[in-house]
Amino acid sequence: MTARRGKKRGTGNLRSVDVPAPPTSFLGPRPLRDAEFRQAVGAVDFAVEARYAWDAGIAVGEYLRGLKRGVILGRECRGCRRILVPPRMFCEECFRPTDRWVEAEDTGTVNTFSICYIRWDMVPLKDPEIPFVLDIDGASPGMGFMHKLGEVRPDDVRIGLEVEAVWKPEEEREGSILDIRYFRPRDASARKGARRASGRKKTSASRRKTSVGGV
Amino acid sequence: MFEKVSDPKDVILVEGQIPIRHRYTPGVAGEAFFTALRDSGKFVASRCESCAVTYCPPRLFCERCFEGPLVSNIEVGPEGTVESFSVGYTGLEGEPLDEPVTVALVRLDGADTVLVHFLVDSDHLMIGQKVRPAFLPKGKRTGSILDLRGFTPAG
Repeated sequence: MTARRGKKRGTGNLRSVDVPAPPTSFLGPRPLRDAEFRQAVGAVDFAVEARYAWDAGIAVGEYLRGLKRGVILGRECRGCRRILVPPRMFCEECFRPTDRWVEAEDTGTVNTFSICYIRWDMVPLKDPEIPFVLDIDGASPGMGFMHKLGEVRPDDVRIGLEVEAVWKPEEEREGSILDIRYFRPRDASARKGARRASGRKKTSASRRKTSVGGV
Repeated sequence: MFEKVSDPKDVILVEGQIPIRHRYTPGVAGEAFFTALRDSGKFVASRCESCAVTYCPPRLFCERCFEGPLVSNIEVGPEGTVESFSVGYTGLEGEPLDEPVTVALVRLDGADTVLVHFLVDSDHLMIGQKVRPAFLPKGKRTGSILDLRGFTPAG
């Protein structure tokens, strides 16, 4: 560390001639130790209250209300004949207002996906989360959103896999993208535990409810 | 053209809170100052001999010539002089205060710099007034600037 310092301490400072180097025990070239940080006399702790509220806007506001009803809403643009999901009030291609609300399906295909063994805050996960991008049925190609896959083994996920939404019960929905619990393969035989699950679907669903709801 | 939101209840808000906490440590000189304040009710200062300036609260480096580290081993005070003061009628959030507070710059005897603190139990305020510290009882001190209630007129 010392060798990398280009100049000797105090070079170029007229006053430095008589100044002894600071005693390292007093002001060493080191950061504050943890104990010193915690036990510092006169330390002041403070928490800034940084609260915010974000207005979802007209398009996304209606979209979230739709999710609460159990439908996925889009906007149609008559200029380019596209159906935009999630909806926006302006078409970014035609640069004009979009024209009407449409309901998309709650099914689609996997556009791309990722298998995550750590959570967003770096906590390791035994059962990975599988976020994916959905191409939603009933909208134009490339339209859809990100969500999570469930009831599927990570090895069985493929681009192009056909999936369907698993909604929360209506009374639990609150106008959030999480009103859809996750998406699962439409083909029941491709689902996790398919061979054993035929007679016990309810049990496996309620077990999953706790694990997904806890994230 | 668009369905304008006319009822505020129809606005969908996504609320959140960003957790921001911080801890400020007063540093080498600041810790010496607060430790002496808490343990012995004394004011310590540091001195730059080159500039002939005694700092209280103490500084680790001379802010005039950058000499340092300075050692906080000089005792100043406990009495001092009011160099300036201000009377506040509103709190930090703009709320009116029942009792106005007086904040003063106090230069402790032997120091060349000033300390910011409250003036308490003082009816007629005057620049140049001699003051002495009013400490909390020893058992209640925590190593904070508020171990000192403020300064009161001396004599």
